[in-house]
Formats: sequence, structure tokens, C-alpha cells
Amino acid sequence: MNILSIEHLTRVYGTGETAVTALDDVSFTVEAGEFIAIIGSSGSGKSTLMHLMGGVDRPTSGTVKLQGQDIFARSDEQLAVFRRREVGLIYQFYNLIPVLDVVENMTLPVLMDGRAVNEQRLSALVRALGLSGREHCLPNQLSGGQQQRVAIGRALMNAPSVVLADEPTGNLDSKNSAEIMGLLRASNKRFKQTLIVITHDEDVALMADRVISIEDGRIVRDERRA
Amino acid sequence: MTMADLCREAFRSLEANKGRSLLTILGIVIGIAAVIAMTSLIGGVRNGLISGMGLNAARIIYIGSGYPLDDDDLKDLERVIPDYEGIEGTIDGYAQVRIGDKTINCGITGATPSFLEMTGASTKIAEGRAYTQGESESNSRVALIGRNGVEAFFGSPGAEAVGQSIRLNDKNYTVLGIVDDGMAGTEYCNVYMPKSTVQRDFAQGRDGLSGIVGLTREGADIESVQAETIAQIGKLKNIPDEELETMVSAWSMKSSIDQLDTFMMSFQLIMGAVAGISLLVGGIGIMNMMLTNVTERIREIGVRRALGARGRDITMQFLTESAALCVTGGIIGTIAGYLVAWGLAFAAGAFGLDMGTVTGMGGSAAALTPAIEPTAIALAVGISILIGLVFGYYPARRAAKLDPVECLRYQ
Repeated sequence: MNILSIEHLTRVYGTGETAVTALDDVSFTVEAGEFIAIIGSSGSGKSTLMHLMGGVDRPTSGTVKLQGQDIFARSDEQLAVFRRREVGLIYQFYNLIPVLDVVENMTLPVLMDGRAVNEQRLSALVRALGLSGREHCLPNQLSGGQQQRVAIGRALMNAPSVVLADEPTGNLDSKNSAEIMGLLRASNKRFKQTLIVITHDEDVALMADRVISIEDGRIVRDERRA
Repeated sequence: MTMADLCREAFRSLEANKGRSLLTILGIVIGIAAVIAMTSLIGGVRNGLISGMGLNAARIIYIGSGYPLDDDDLKDLERVIPDYEGIEGTIDGYAQVRIGDKTINCGITGATPSFLEMTGASTKIAEGRAYTQGESESNSRVALIGRNGVEAFFGSPGAEAVGQSIRLNDKNYTVLGIVDDGMAGTEYCNVYMPKSTVQRDFAQGRDGLSGIVGLTREGADIESVQAETIAQIGKLKNIPDEELETMVSAWSMKSSIDQLDTFMMSFQLIMGAVAGISLLVGGIGIMNMMLTNVTERIREIGVRRALGARGRDITMQFLTESAALCVTGGIIGTIAGYLVAWGLAFAAGAFGLDMGTVTGMGGSAAALTPAIEPTAIALAVGISILIGLVFGYYPARRAAKLDPVECLRYQ
């Protein structure tokens, strides 16, 4: 079953002579529960693709359909609600809010949605992410690996159907990288969560079910691994 | 996000930049402190004056007549001028007392309990109590004496006077209460007694009234009641028109109080203008800091947007922050303002200035007490929230309009 279908997605930044086509007529479909690695050199359009799939940006043309529904048919308000509930975003630089502690960072999307925090889910996530005892630390009191775990917790807190990660291990050493990828992989397997990871890292790509290579805003290779 | 969440986050963000936040709100602190200090001092002066004059000061008309009036005349007046709630007159007497080598001159006012109420004298009874209607009607030999009388009659200012008696013209009068009338020295002392007691003991049965005071109804037009009073007394006593102006008078403190209020109003306007400028400058400082804040936190804004914050969530976040900043300034300013007001009042006291000299109207020797008015505090906090919202709006809107993708790319 297709959970995501990306159809003729094009994103042009700027206008006239300074226009840059970051993404050029990209189409592919994603099955529910799939783990996809998107690889490509920097400036190839990976991050643009991720922001479009996550509903953070709007395309110049083309659509992203989640479970058959065009996400860009929504108003800005509805799109914000979509981001809170349907996708989990993970970044290379963790992007935690510096004045909020571990638990507050993790529950931020839930609170934004005006809903009560599912305490059971929260404590299960804290335990699974190895953050027990650090619930009330501020981000600057944590190591890089720990901060990325918090960011993963934040992305998973709302039990999104799709998790998008932009170079999640780009800033970590190999030991922490392996751990973070292990956590993401486990969540992907256990909850049949669709996981799309943008990466430079060969080892990360090797863990994926499918590897899509992008160059100059176009898909140049789409390989399904056995 | 609930308001509580927003506020908690706002205060934490400000705490993260403690030094800068404190410097930024200095303008607000100074502006609010100036307003609070001045309004509480002015309020203190006004309260002092009003209480010196009595609670009903603005509604009272003092009536004088060269043709003696008695209680029946007052009843007639009350009947023909319905704007009066009541008219009361006193019968006054005088006595000289020798204690050792000292002579005390006593001005004796014979007044009914309702007269004491009306003129506010009863509110100045600091110890003991006023005489009752019953004591008044039964011509009891009871008295209230001025504060300075305690020393004059009983030797020292701290002496136990209530329950003791004073001897005037060979008769004993029980002291029921001490009145804070602002008199000083031991040569002269005010004594209040029931009207009929004074009539019998000090006025040889005369019924001509001295101090005549009318209390007008709430909202009555004092000036027209004054004119009406003079005219009616003229009719009542068959006073020829050409004599009326010199023989009968009716005056009130209303015009003085109005003048005082006008003066204070203009003073407050000037203060308000000064504070307004200070708050404007303070507000611009807030705007400046919030703009810096937005620029410094561009990435955070991007992350929040990506996590599902709407534009207005971002607006709310930054507005809450600037309002929190200003409210902190407002609270610090309010406290500082009261401290300054008390400091000034204390300094004025130390230099021998009291209510009497400050107002130039004599009377009460009480020290100046700054008025702490809940409305002033509410206004200060309200104004600071308003400044926070007004000057925080532009930076907050700017933050909300930023493109999330651009923000996330910002290093």
C-alpha cells in the first residue's frame, strides 16, 4: 500500500535570472513501513525534497499525497496541523529549543496541538531512548548523541505515520551513529513506521530497504535492496 | 499551548538573557516608578487634606447669620430647601481653667452627635468614644478633648485621660474621648460637649446657634444651595435686601476642593506626559531587543514552524515574551515607585515638612503618607502589558512571517 506518492514535484527558488531549480520533476511512491535512504551530494535537492514531503515548504508545481490526499491542498493552518500530527522531523543539528528541558522538548508538538501528553508513551520513549534520569536536563547539558535522541523522541511523540530525518547522524561519531540508526530502525520495524533518511553515510544507506539517489534535483537511481 | 506554558517559556527565554533583559526594561521601570511615586504622593497630599477637612467636606455648607438663628429656624430651612440632608448648629461656650501656675483657655463646642458625624469630628476620635444620643439628650456632663488637652489637663501627653474628669467652672466633666484636632500647645484646648449641656452650663440658657453647618444631599449643586440658603434666611428673619449680603453668609469648601483637584489634575497631566515620554523610549528599547531576539532565534523559529507551529503561534510566543518583559518592568517600577514615594515622604518629615506646611493650609500636623491605590497598581501593570503588546507586535509579526525553510537554512 502506498502511503506517500510524490508526483512531478518541482521546486524553484527565486525568480528570473537568479532562479534555481532545486527539485526538478521528481516522482516516486513510498510504501507504508518502508525504510528509504535518499543519497546525493550537497546541493542536490535532498533537503528541499524532505521539506516538501514534511509539508514545511510548498512546491512550485507537483503534489505530495499522503494516503491519497494532496497535502498542499490544505491551507497554511491545516498544513501546520498536518506537520504536528502526521510527520516527525529529525535534523542533523538536533534543533532542540535551548530553554526547554528534555521532556518539554519532546512534548512540544503535542502541546502545540493543545492535547494532553500521553504520559505512558512519554515514559516508554524516554526509557527506549536511554534518556532516563535526564528528563529535566537542558539541551546544553547533554552530549550530541543524547540531544539527537531527544530530537528522535520529539519526532516520535505524536506517533507519526512518516518519519523524515535529514542527516540524523551527520554530526555524530560512528558509535553514536550506529545507536541512533538502530533506534530509528527499531521504531520503523516495530510500529511499521515509514522512515525516510537523507544521508551521506554509506553505512546508513546500507541499512535501508531502498536507496534513492538524487543529483541536480532529479532522481538518477532508485534501487530496492533484497 | 496553554497561556501558562507560553508564559513559562517566555520567562525562561528572558532569564537566558538576564543582563540584557534587565537593561532593556530600565526605561519601563523608570517610567512606571515616576508615575507611581508621583500619583501616590499626590494622592497622599489629597487624602491628607480631605481627611483634615472631614469626609463630607465637599458637601458641607457653613452658614453664618448676623440675625441669630435657633433650632426651629434650622428646621424651617431644612423644610424649604430639600437639597439639605440635615442642618445642625452648635452652641459655643468658653471657660478658663487654672492648673498650678498654668492657664488653659477652653473653647467649648456644644454639638449633637450628628453634628460630630457630619463635620467628620467623630472620625478623628483617636481614643475612647463619642457621646451617645442618650447622653446628649440627658445633658450629661461628658466631654471630648483635643489631643493637646491631655498634656494641659493631666500633665503629660501620654497620661491616661479617658475616664478621668476635667473641672470647668467648678463642675466635673468625664472625658469620653480624645480628638486628634491638630492643635498644639497647652494654652488653648478644644472641648466638645453635648449641645444642651453647654446651653445649660456655659451659655446661660441662650439658644442662639454659633457654628451652623448644613450637609447637602449627594450630587446637589452646592452653589445654588448656598444662594438659596441666604435668600431663605432673609425671608425667615425678614432681613431687608440691602442688609442680606453683609449679615448672612453661606460658604463651602467645594470651590477650594475643586481648585485643588484642578491643580492636581494639571500636575498629573504634566507627570503623565513625562512618564509617557519615558515609556515611549522604554517601548522602543523593548522593540529593539525583541528584533534582536528574533534574529538570534531564527533557527528556533524555523524548527517550531517545522514542528507544526502556525504563524500566529509564533506571534503569540514573541508577544508573550515582550509582554512578560514589560510586566516585569512594571512590577519592579511599581515597587521602586512606592519606595521612592516613602523615601520622599520620610525625607520631607525629617526636614520638618508635614501636611500642614506641604499644603499651606495649616490644620493637621500628620506626616505625609503616600497613598497606595490598587487602581494605580492595576493601571501600571496594564500600561506595561499594553507597551509590551504594542512594541512587541512588529517584531512578533516579523518572526511569524519568516519563511520556515529559510529559517532552517540560517546558520
